[in-house]
Amino acid sequence: MNASGIKTGLGAYTALFLVFLYGPLVVLAILSFQTGPEGGPQFPIIEWSTYWYKHLFGLTPPSRIAPLPIEQALVRSLGLAVMTMIVSTVLGVTAAQAFRRKFRGSGVVFYLIVLGMMVPGVLVGLGMALVANTLGIDRHWWSTAFVLHVVYTFPFAFLVMLAIFNRFDPSMEEASWSLGVTPARTFRKVTFPLIFPGVLSAMLFAFTLSYDEFSRTLFASGRDLTLPLAIYGTFSVEVHPNVFAFGVLTTLFSFALLGTYAALMMLSVRRAKRVAIQEEA
Amino acid sequence: MSMMAVAEQTETEPVVEKKSPGKALWLLAPGVIWMSLFLVLPMLMMVYVSFWTQTTFTIEPTLTLKSWVTFFTSDTYLGALWTTVRIWLIVLVATVLVGYPAALFVGLFVKNKALQTVLLVLCVIPFWTSFLIRVLAWRPMLGKEGAINMILMNLGITDAPIEVLLFSELSVIIGMTQIYCVFMVGPIAFMLGRIDTSIIEAAQDLGAGFWRIFRTIILPLSMPGVVVGAIFVSVMVLGEFATSAALSGRKVNLLGNIIVTQVGSLKWAFAAVAGVVLTILMGAVVAALLRVVDLRKEL
Repeated sequence: MNASGIKTGLGAYTALFLVFLYGPLVVLAILSFQTGPEGGPQFPIIEWSTYWYKHLFGLTPPSRIAPLPIEQALVRSLGLAVMTMIVSTVLGVTAAQAFRRKFRGSGVVFYLIVLGMMVPGVLVGLGMALVANTLGIDRHWWSTAFVLHVVYTFPFAFLVMLAIFNRFDPSMEEASWSLGVTPARTFRKVTFPLIFPGVLSAMLFAFTLSYDEFSRTLFASGRDLTLPLAIYGTFSVEVHPNVFAFGVLTTLFSFALLGTYAALMMLSVRRAKRVAIQEEA
Repeated sequence: MSMMAVAEQTETEPVVEKKSPGKALWLLAPGVIWMSLFLVLPMLMMVYVSFWTQTTFTIEPTLTLKSWVTFFTSDTYLGALWTTVRIWLIVLVATVLVGYPAALFVGLFVKNKALQTVLLVLCVIPFWTSFLIRVLAWRPMLGKEGAINMILMNLGITDAPIEVLLFSELSVIIGMTQIYCVFMVGPIAFMLGRIDTSIIEAAQDLGAGFWRIFRTIILPLSMPGVVVGAIFVSVMVLGEFATSAALSGRKVNLLGNIIVTQVGSLKWAFAAVAGVVLTILMGAVVAALLRVVDLRKEL
């Protein structure tokens, strides 16, 4: 389109839009370097320091500001995210595999699965707490909260795999079958390498969504805190820059995860290219 | 049923089974069972418990309409319902208004594929950081001594800090708009990227101005994106309680906040009623939006 005035205007707007998206996070990151323990969560920066980062790890002398209970919470959150990642990826791959063929009732099953990502955590969390109460089951992060995390992340894995299988050429598998290779071995040797990028994406989705999930956990996890619950606990009290420092660290962790994902993805693409070249030669 | 499927599979063992319906059943069963037990059952339980009798600290399975009557005669609960609907509508409109121009630029005006990808990734990156941290990040922005007030005062636009920015309905709306507008930008940019540019060129050749092209071509073709984005945003905003808990100073009570406080004081039956009301509201909104667009076709 040659409406260049409009294009410039929209471009400037998009730049502002990005400032709107990133501004608060940048401010939060700057304020995390506020001096402590007397410096508050606002400008001006009295003195630049890493006090609040040390505070997070318990390296500062005790002060009136209680440290965030993150040590145990981190272990729980990571464990929960790994469990959720494995189970929802397996469920997502198998369900999407079934969807490769048309079957009666596929619409109902599709909506049943997608419902898991649509229903808000506050509702399914409340329902799960009621079920647990009625059955007399204790609520824990590794039981009631875990199954809800899978309910939430399984649809994402399913949709990612569905998209992958839509672009998938079944003649590869048929070739393998017609050569007498068992379906299980065909899946391992032919199907899985081809869908690997999708599996990786599904795993990334499931891990990060579970790691960040808190409304389901709030109702279904009982007394033990996960990381998001520890953060949520600070909402009702005065906020100190230690929460900001934690925010910076957890954001860096998410980026490291994204980086690992990108590296694995690149490796897999490169390997696929190498195989393709070998086949041609 | 499952036994039959096993029998079928063993019978056709030597042949490569491609069309046995039993196989699809086995692949689907784990997921379907999981969703039935841990999604459908809890939701049904919520409906059931909303008719239970609430005593001070426990609930008893004696069916009654008392909690429902309490809900619809209490100003607090009805107020929360109204607040939820109001905030949802405002945030929905705000995300469209804020997100659409950015999506228009990324999806239609940026011809360079690499730049387009970079811009979309830039929009998505905040989504990978902690939701609660993003909510909390608005506190040092909007506060009385916050960044926005500081900038406004330094520029001489205002003399005194604007106090209404934080711990008000406005702060909740600002926070939600920022957090959820990405879900509007994505689907809209996707639909805009699929527009055949020769249609627009044809319209230009025939002398149509930008606004006319926008009204008659771009906007109608991008509507499925707006609707999909609206479904995402609606579902997330209606189920919210964290943003209002963090940014409103307890002044804004959504249905989600009602549920949290009721559960906190062990009023399970009331919480269940609020949950059912919220479910019905959300179902109505999504059903209305789905009438406009077939989600499965768009994916």
